[in-house]
Amino acid sequence: MLQGRNIVEGWRSLLVHGLLALLFIILIGRYYYLMIVFHEKYAEKATANHIRAVPVLASRGVIYDREGNLIVDNAPSYTISVIPIEVKDKPESLERLSSVMGVSVEEINRRIVKNRRGSFAPAKVFSRVPFEKISHLQEHRLELIGVTYSIEPIRNYVSDLDLSHALGYTREINRDDLNRFKKDSDYQPGDQVGWKGMEKFYESELHGRRGFRYIEVNALGQEIGEVPDRAPINPIPGHDLILSIDSYIHAAVEKALADSSGSVVILNHKTGEILAYASRPGYDLEMLSGRISSKDWDALMQDPRKPLYDRGIQGLYPAGSTLKPLAALYSLENHSNAKERTYVCHGSYRLGNRSFGCWKKGGHGKMNLHDAIQQSCNVYFYNLIQDIGIEDWALIAREFGFGQRAKIDIPGENKGLVPDTKYMNRKYGVNNWTRGNLLNIVVGQGDVLVTPLQLAQFAGMLAQRGTQFQPHFVNKIVSKNGTVIKEINSPSKNRVSASKDSWDFVQQAMWDVVNGKKGTAKAARQKDWDIYGKTGTAQNPHGEDHAWFIGFSLDERYPYSWAVLLENGGGGGGKAAPLIGKVLRTIAKRPS
Amino acid sequence: MNIRSYVLLRFKELEWSTLILVILLSASGLLAIYSIEVQHESGAEYFFRQSIWTVVGIGLFLTAFFLPRKLIHNLTYPAYGVGIVLLLIPIMTKSGNEVSRWITLGNIGFQPSEFMKILLLLALAKYFADHKRRLSTVKELMTPVAMALGPTILVLVQPDLGTALVYFGILIVIIFWAGIKPLHFFLLLAPILSMLAAFQTLTFFHWMGIIIVVLYFNHLPFWTKILNFFINVGLGGITNLLWALLKPYQQQRILSMIDSDSDPLGAGYQVSQSLTAFGSGGPFGKGLGEGTQTHLKFLPEQHTDFIMTVIGEEFGFVGVLVVITLFYLLIAKLITQAYNSKFRFDSVILIGIASIYTFHVFVNLGMIVGIMPVTGIPLPFISYGGSFMVTSMILAGLSVNMSSVRRAVG
Repeated sequence: MLQGRNIVEGWRSLLVHGLLALLFIILIGRYYYLMIVFHEKYAEKATANHIRAVPVLASRGVIYDREGNLIVDNAPSYTISVIPIEVKDKPESLERLSSVMGVSVEEINRRIVKNRRGSFAPAKVFSRVPFEKISHLQEHRLELIGVTYSIEPIRNYVSDLDLSHALGYTREINRDDLNRFKKDSDYQPGDQVGWKGMEKFYESELHGRRGFRYIEVNALGQEIGEVPDRAPINPIPGHDLILSIDSYIHAAVEKALADSSGSVVILNHKTGEILAYASRPGYDLEMLSGRISSKDWDALMQDPRKPLYDRGIQGLYPAGSTLKPLAALYSLENHSNAKERTYVCHGSYRLGNRSFGCWKKGGHGKMNLHDAIQQSCNVYFYNLIQDIGIEDWALIAREFGFGQRAKIDIPGENKGLVPDTKYMNRKYGVNNWTRGNLLNIVVGQGDVLVTPLQLAQFAGMLAQRGTQFQPHFVNKIVSKNGTVIKEINSPSKNRVSASKDSWDFVQQAMWDVVNGKKGTAKAARQKDWDIYGKTGTAQNPHGEDHAWFIGFSLDERYPYSWAVLLENGGGGGGKAAPLIGKVLRTIAKRPS
Repeated sequence: MNIRSYVLLRFKELEWSTLILVILLSASGLLAIYSIEVQHESGAEYFFRQSIWTVVGIGLFLTAFFLPRKLIHNLTYPAYGVGIVLLLIPIMTKSGNEVSRWITLGNIGFQPSEFMKILLLLALAKYFADHKRRLSTVKELMTPVAMALGPTILVLVQPDLGTALVYFGILIVIIFWAGIKPLHFFLLLAPILSMLAAFQTLTFFHWMGIIIVVLYFNHLPFWTKILNFFINVGLGGITNLLWALLKPYQQQRILSMIDSDSDPLGAGYQVSQSLTAFGSGGPFGKGLGEGTQTHLKFLPEQHTDFIMTVIGEEFGFVGVLVVITLFYLLIAKLITQAYNSKFRFDSVILIGIASIYTFHVFVNLGMIVGIMPVTGIPLPFISYGGSFMVTSMILAGLSVNMSSVRRAVG
C-alpha cells in the first residue's frame, strides 16, 4: 500500500545520523593524518617512486702499444635481460627463451637470481649474443614477455699479437668483488670487471664511471620517458693505457717462439719498459672475456700445456747457469785473486761420496773465472762456492731481485726462491743439509727458483752495473681528451755495488759467451752489434731440460735486456740463444 | 492533468540543492579524469565518455524524479524479477573462471548488479510499505532477508564480494529503519560478528561471553537461546572453512588491509601507492595535472576505484575535505528526509539510498587509505564508469522524487 505511514522512531534516526557522522569523522581523521601529519615522509617517497636512474655504462679505456697502435678497444655486444616481475607468472616466456638460446630454464632462473636488482630492473641472463639470435627474439617478441635486450660495449681485441697473459681479460663481477668494491657504488651485478693481467691491475683507471639518465616509470616499471627537468649524468669513460710493449719486437718474438712452450721477456733496462712479453701457450682472450662455457673452461684447465699459466711472472724454474755471474761478481769483489784463480775440471766434482757433474762430460780442463763463465763450467763454480757460503750468495742474489716480486703492474707474480741458511734449516732440518746443496745452488739448480721476469731484470742489472729499474707494462695513462693522467717513470736504484773493474770483467765474460770462440751462445751473435749473454740449462725432473738464455745489449740504440725460457728446450745454447738471435736480427732490420 | 502541467508542477517541487550537490560531485570526478588525461597522449577519451555518462545520468536523474510514485510502486516487483534474470545471464553465459559482471548489448556493456541495488531497495520498500510490518517477530524478517539473499548469492557467484556486501548493507539498514527490535537486530548481526571474531581466538571468546549475557537477560524461549548460541559457536567454527572457499584474490584483499606491504604488487601495492599519492599531496596538493603518482600510472585503477587519489594528490587535504563534505551534506540530508517522510515507502527508499551512498563512500574512501579492504567499490558520481554513474544518478533522482512527496501532499 503506497500510502502506508512512516512510523520510524526518532532514536533510530538519531542513531543513523550519529553513525554517519562517526564514519565521516574516521575518514577525515585518516586523511588528516596521511596528508598533513605525514606529508613530508610521503612527499619524499613520491619523488623516489617515479624516477628511475638508468645506468649508462662508461666505455672502458682502450689499450695502445708504445707507438699508439690499438691493441684492445670496445665493440658493441648484445645482452639479453629478463625483468623478473614480468616473467613471474609466465613460464612460457622463459621456455621460449630457453629453446632459442639452448640453455635450460633452470640455468636461466639461476642467472636471474644471481643478477637480480629488484623485481622491475632487467636482470642480465645472456651476454655476447649473436645478432641472429637477437633478430630471432625480435620476431617472437610477443611470446617473450619480460625479455629485453640491450647493447653494451665489450672488449674487442684488435691486434693479432698474443698478449693474453699481460693484458688479461674482463669478466662479470662476482659477489666477492662486489663486496670488495662496496665503497665504490659504481659496480653493479652483471658489470664487467678486470679479472686478470693489466685489465685487473688498472681496473680503477680503465673502468670509468657510469652515468645515469633519469626516466619516469610506471607501476609496472615500464619506461614512460625522460625526466625533463633532470639532466642526465654523462658517463665518464675510462682512461686509456699506453703500453711499453713494442708491437714490432713482440711480433718478432712470437714468430721466433712459434709453437714452443716457454716465455720471453724483453725490457729496456734504462727505463724498465717491457717491450715484449710472451708466455706460451697463450689463450683466446675473446673466449675468456664475458661468459665462457664450462666445456671451454674445462678444456683450458685440463690442457697439459697449461695455457692459463703466465710463465713470465708465475712460472718458477731453476735458473741453471744463468746465475753464474752472480757468484763471479761476488768473487771479484771479495777474493783478491779472483781473476787468477784456476780450478781443473775433469767433468765432475766429488764431494764426500757424491759426484756432481759438469755439462761437459769430458771436462773443461784448467779453467779461470772468465773461461768458466764463457764456457759455463760447473766444476769451477762448485769449487768457487766453497769460498763464498750460502748466506753471502743469498745476499747478492736478493740484491739482484731474486726471491722477491718485481712489483710489475700485473697481478699474480711469484716471488721465486733464494735459499739461505734459515730456509735450508727449515726445509731439511738443522745440519741435515750439506755443501752438496750449496753446489746445486751456485749453478742455479736445486732449491733456487726464479721467474723469467726476474732473470730479465737480472740481465738488465748486469747491463746497468747494478742499477735496477722497475719493470712495467704501462707507460702512460691518458684520459679520453688526451690529458696525461699519469706517466710511469720507474725509479732507478743502485742495488748492487761493485767496482768498475768487476763489472767490466763480468760483462766481458758475457760478451765472450756470445762472441768468443768457445762461447755457448754464438747463435745470438749479431753483425755490427755487441750482444752479451749467458746460457743456462734448468734440470727438469719431469722431462727434457728447460733452456735459458739471458742477455743484454749496451748499444745506445738498443738498450735491451732479455730472458728466454724454452720449456723442454734442452741446452740453453742450442735453442734459446738462436731464438734471441733471430729476434735481434729482426730488430736490426726494423724499417724506420 | 496533462503532461505539460504535470511536468511544470513537478518542476516547482524539484529540490535543487540535491541536484547541485550531485553536479558538483560529478564535476570533481570529471576534473580528476581530465587531469589524468591532460598529460597523456591517449587523448581525452575517458573524459569524453564520462561527460556523456554524466549528461545521460542527469537525464535519468530527472526521469527518476518525474516518474510517478504510483508507477514505481507498481512496477517494483516485476522489475526486481527482471533484475534477478539479468543477474543470472552473466552466470549462465560465463566461460571458464573469468569474472563475469557484464552484459553486452551492441558495444555498450553494463553491469546488472549495479541496477539491482536500486531494484532491491525498491522491492524492500514496497514490501515494508504494503505490509505495515512492525517487525516485532522473527517470522516477519524472513521475506525481506530472502529478497536480499537472492541477489547477494548471485553476485557472490560472479564473484563480486563488494556488491554482495552492498546488498547486505542495504538490507541491514532498511530492517533497522523498518523497526526491527534491538534484540532481533543483535541476533541477526551476531552470526556475522561471530565469523569475524573467529579469526582471533581471544576475541572470539569475549564475543561469545557477550552473546551469553545478552541471551541470558532477554526473554526468549529457552531453546531459542540455546539454538542461537550454538549457531554462533558453529559459524565461528566453520569460518576457517569458509575462508578457504574464498578466491585467493579475495583473501589477499582482506589480508592486505591488515598489512599493505605484504603483497606489493597486489592489493597492498595499490594501497601503498595510493597512500604515497595522498601523503605527498599534503594540505593543498600539487595542482591540477601535476600529480606525479597518478600520472605515472602507479595506480592501475586510478580512474575508477582510486580516482580520489588524483584529487588528493593534486588538490590536497582541502580538496579531499571538500568532496567529503559534499558527500556528507548529501547523505545527511537523505537521512533527515527519510525521517521526515510522511509515507513509509518514501522513507525506506530514502534511507536505502543513504545506505548505498554511505557504504560506497566509506568503503571506497576507506580502502584507498588502507582502512578498508580493497573490494572494488567505486565512488558515487566521481569514479569513471557508466553503470555506476547511471545508478547513482537514478538513486539521486529517486530521492528527490520521494522527498518531494511530503511537501506536495502536506
